[in-house]
Amino acid sequence: MKNVILSGVVATLLVFSGCADKEPVVDNSDLNKQVVQEVAPVQAVAADNGDMMTDAMRMAALEKELATVYFAFDKYDIVGDNTSKVSNDASVLNAQASAYGIKLEGNCDEWGSDEYNIALGLKRADAVKKALVSEGVSESRISMVSYGESNPTCSDKTKECWSQNRRVDFKLLP
Amino acid sequence: MKIFFSILLLFSLSFASDATIEVIKKVDSLPSIAVEDASVSYDQSFKMKFFKTLIADLNVLSILNVDRYYRTNNFDASNVVVENKDFNYVLRYKLFQGDNNSLNVQMILLKNNQQVLGKNYKVSNDKIHVFVSHAMAYDINEYMGESSVAWMKKKVIFAKNIAPKRTEIIISDYTLAYTHVIVSGGFNIFPKWANQEQSAFYYTSLDNKKPTLMYVDVKTGNKKSILSSDGMMVCSDVSDDAKTLLLTMAPDGQPDVFSYNVGTKRQKRITTFKGIDVNGQFIENNKIAFVSERMGYPNIFTTDVNGGSVEQLVYYGNSNSSCSANGEYIVYKARESSSAYSANTFNLHLISTKSDSIRRLTAGGVNEFPRFSKDGDAIIYIKNYQAQSSIGIIRLNHNRNFLFPLSSGRIQSMDW
Repeated sequence: MKNVILSGVVATLLVFSGCADKEPVVDNSDLNKQVVQEVAPVQAVAADNGDMMTDAMRMAALEKELATVYFAFDKYDIVGDNTSKVSNDASVLNAQASAYGIKLEGNCDEWGSDEYNIALGLKRADAVKKALVSEGVSESRISMVSYGESNPTCSDKTKECWSQNRRVDFKLLP
Repeated sequence: MKIFFSILLLFSLSFASDATIEVIKKVDSLPSIAVEDASVSYDQSFKMKFFKTLIADLNVLSILNVDRYYRTNNFDASNVVVENKDFNYVLRYKLFQGDNNSLNVQMILLKNNQQVLGKNYKVSNDKIHVFVSHAMAYDINEYMGESSVAWMKKKVIFAKNIAPKRTEIIISDYTLAYTHVIVSGGFNIFPKWANQEQSAFYYTSLDNKKPTLMYVDVKTGNKKSILSSDGMMVCSDVSDDAKTLLLTMAPDGQPDVFSYNVGTKRQKRITTFKGIDVNGQFIENNKIAFVSERMGYPNIFTTDVNGGSVEQLVYYGNSNSSCSANGEYIVYKARESSSAYSANTFNLHLISTKSDSIRRLTAGGVNEFPRFSKDGDAIIYIKNYQAQSSIGIIRLNHNRNFLFPLSSGRIQSMDW
């Protein structure tokens, strides 16, 4: 019986060490605040110029002119009419959008959530970056990120939908 | 004498443990066990919830033929209930509420009406009752003298997609019955336990300008940023002593495997191929396994932990895009169809660096993110079927798979 009680105490300690109810939740709100702070000064500059259109609005309008580049399954080379899209995008970036930085966001379809998929998204962004640089866009303006399969524009289970998710989006940075 | 020794050698070789060989055990030949509830507190729905968790745990042990009928008895009764009299073992337990709503459990294991094992358990509240059930199953397994299932008591950490560019990081038990959101808000992926005690973890934050590796202490909730890289940052593996990390980073848009010393904060590039190199995993003899597309499609390769010549590890599968290692064993995900969209089945396979045999571990669907338990006894993985994610457990030495579905959302990545 003594053994039973002793082992019970040990088991209790073991179970207690496994308790997860006291784990605190990490608050990410400070990160969100940073995003807000970055946007605020931009709007102030636009107001100083007496322009009716804020910088943020102008950037959003220009982003619409930048065509998304699409890719084949498991590939990161730019083919077909995507080549001319990148040329047009480079023209916009060298002219109307020349004052802004460029963020290339690589994305993938849902077939795989592993590191390889994230890397594939990044290589897609890198392929677009190289094409832009060869068209005269300054390399120092360009940053890249990959969201893998975590940023789909379409969530249906169809070939068309998956092909829309294998893409590189353009975002302008102040 | 020679004959005796050669027979002995033959005998020992035939019983040498090789996880790549399938073991098929007949369920009929396993000892049977029935379960009797002798609880005095708690309502019927909680009692049934606990009973079902316990039955599931006993099944996962894979060493017992478990009776699924719910029967009650007095804890001190000298005989098992009549329906259970032909079972090899009877597990009897009593749930009762203690001070401050704590949950207490008394358990005895009976064989021929004689107690062969007795244990008491206590947790601070009934919300975490699954950990008691896992501990009970663990203790029964220990009593039976089977290979350890210490992984049952380990916690799983995973990232769940809840909306485009929004995730939660969640800590759970291995069945997903208990879940606790530990990082909410923002876009955070690839959580990875920072040590074997699971007292801290790393994850990648994509909310900053550059992908950033974060470190969180589980007890205090304190977090700090470790390192950033352009384009990509993932903590792929943590050494057993927790001092070295294998990271995938992409300076100049080029994903490569790096080692990072947690103490000196020094990093070293291990791979230099101009395509994709990711998913570094420590294996034995100071080597790493990793995923590379250097042959034109993703496959598993090995190199020295300090870099150097690269060797192909896997010769089967059209696209092998993730892996996990434990000593000599490597489990990897393989796309079985060469067509981009036909059934698109992804199955897990197990190989050993010391033999040529391959063992297929899953049979259909999209199976990915395999992770070994520290002792190599089990593999945990993600199964995605249509819009639902499940966590799967493969008991390698028992040749059995178990699935535990996630109620909502899709699991992005996971560690054990």
